[in-house]
Amino acid sequence: MSTEVSDIRARNRQTQQAMEAAAVLARIQTEFPDNPAGMRYFYDLFQKTYCEQSAPHGKPVIGTTCVQIPEELIYALDAVPVRLCNGTYAFDQAGAEFMPTKSCSLVKATLGFLNQELPAHLQGMRQVINATTCDQKTKAGQIIEQMGYEVHHLEVPRSKDSEQARDYWRHSVAQTARFLEQATHRKLTRRGLRTAIGKVARAQQAFRRLHALRREKPSVVYGKDVFLITNGYFFDDIDRWTEALEALNQELEERIQKGINAAPKRAPRILFTGSPPVFPNLKLPLVIEQAGGVIVADETCSSNRMLYDAVGVDEWFLYDMVDAVADRHLKPCTCPIFSSNIDRQRRLLELARSFEVDGVVYQAFAGCQVYEIEQQSVTAALTEAGVPSLYVETDYSPDDLGQLTTRVEAFLESLRSRRRRKRQ
Amino acid sequence: MIFGGIDIGSTAIKVALVDEEDRLLGARVAATGSHFHQNAVEALNGLLAEQGIDRAQLGFLTATGYGRKLFREADDVISEITANAIGAHKVGLAFGGVETIINIGGQDSKAIRIDAEGNVVNFVMNDKCAAGTGRFLDVAARNLEIDLEELGEYHFRLSGTPPPINSTCAVFAESEVIGLLAAGYSKEAICAGIHFSIARRIARLAKRVGIDRRVYFDGGPALNRGLAAAMEQELDAELVIPEIPQITTAYGAAILARETWSEENG
Repeated sequence: MSTEVSDIRARNRQTQQAMEAAAVLARIQTEFPDNPAGMRYFYDLFQKTYCEQSAPHGKPVIGTTCVQIPEELIYALDAVPVRLCNGTYAFDQAGAEFMPTKSCSLVKATLGFLNQELPAHLQGMRQVINATTCDQKTKAGQIIEQMGYEVHHLEVPRSKDSEQARDYWRHSVAQTARFLEQATHRKLTRRGLRTAIGKVARAQQAFRRLHALRREKPSVVYGKDVFLITNGYFFDDIDRWTEALEALNQELEERIQKGINAAPKRAPRILFTGSPPVFPNLKLPLVIEQAGGVIVADETCSSNRMLYDAVGVDEWFLYDMVDAVADRHLKPCTCPIFSSNIDRQRRLLELARSFEVDGVVYQAFAGCQVYEIEQQSVTAALTEAGVPSLYVETDYSPDDLGQLTTRVEAFLESLRSRRRRKRQ
Repeated sequence: MIFGGIDIGSTAIKVALVDEEDRLLGARVAATGSHFHQNAVEALNGLLAEQGIDRAQLGFLTATGYGRKLFREADDVISEITANAIGAHKVGLAFGGVETIINIGGQDSKAIRIDAEGNVVNFVMNDKCAAGTGRFLDVAARNLEIDLEELGEYHFRLSGTPPPINSTCAVFAESEVIGLLAAGYSKEAICAGIHFSIARRIARLAKRVGIDRRVYFDGGPALNRGLAAAMEQELDAELVIPEIPQITTAYGAAILARETWSEENG
């Protein structure tokens, strides 16, 4: 293929991404009345990054492809981690060049995205840290390497309960720290890491406050907005992001005082789990909320799983801190790649109870085997606990929108009638 | 007061009218066509005229099916899954009650599980393709150059073993059927093969919600007795097929219209 043709194709895909993004942003803003003023920052952030020209970070950028990559280490070396997991359908199609057609949309889209000229906020990104989690992500690391990036394969154990697994993981993380030192030509220091842990913890604290506000009945914030906020964390300047979220939290608290809800009082409360919604693929969350439901909590690696659990440090020595960072990214992780994953069921049941949810929606991307497999045990656990759930297998293509809408509406109708019966 | 349900599907528009006791007064099935809105209005008005009912007597109209949101004449909308469950529950009472429903429509098929009160407990739909739907039968009949209505008769005329139809895609099945014809299989054998192929697919779908001893089977393809026989065999359950299997969902929507009206008018 001539350079000219490939340039045109890459530009075309970027245009397609901008179109997808603009359409979703329009739905998010215009189809829901009275969005909080504090959301303006996030709407604009996505508008700029996806539809216009994004702003460069002005610091070395390290690409990451997983929630388990210890971002604290990257910040500690004065570099910026940017999560590359991509949600664009045009890139999903472009990525089919590298992976079997039936593989996961998210992995394909990430490859499709990386195989073209990078947007301004990623300019100069040479290194990518790829976690060896599921088969597809593991093999994607190799493909990213072939594209010319320097890839560090962060080795993740397939179990997290044994002492060996923990040791293995700590070694992996220590190795990642050495890789990052070489990549940035900087030395990891006690002070640098301590500051970084604090920076991330502050962002997490803001997230936790938002998370707690979602318990409110009636709901004060829509899930589509929360997913947008947490997706922004993938690439935004962390301090600016934290400030914007703190301002939003403040506004939401005022709205609670004034009695301003986001969703109607009787909107079924939904817990969202499974394959992560990544902008602009907010297809399923938007279908749920446009059909009259409200997502009050989630258990996904693009949102709650990414930000809920913070680093717990005993001793503020460098190596203790590195271990503490490692622990944060393994122990609480409820990714279905782990051989035993009872934690995920426990967390879902706890979220369902404490957020008073009416039902769970479980999304599995077609081709994401681990989520597809774990659906059975999770559904069984939910059923046993009397929590209704809807399992949806989907991908980034808009083809199934009509069917999805019917299924979700029927599910919400059954939740409403169930609630009516309970009241009687 | 009269209440109506209108089910605007991909292939057919179904209208049902009920009285205050949920008794079915009349029903009509019409082709959806390309002017579905006009056809829907005509189907409704035609049924009202046939029953000698004035439009003003229609207290409440609920729309369902794929075209439900585009039919602005309706007072309310409901998803076809909920409407199907309500209709099947009511009709099923005469057969001793049903808790598993299988519906094959023009462009999708579904299995619904309801409780003894008719509430939806669980449901699944087929993937976003025409395999195991009415469209599949449509394509097959065309290939075999026989009428859609004749498929059932052909099924029972077969003696011997039908060939397996392996394609799960309606488009590929088409070429498979052509291949089988070329290989010398009779139309009877191929018909039966198609019915078993659909039945197997539907049975797999239904297993995900749980198959009861008695299964309610509705939607246009339920008129095909050959398919029904294959389903009975694959499901290993007694099938309950209503008199007019196309209208269960419209009937459910009409019952819901009556319920909504009753709630709103004390």
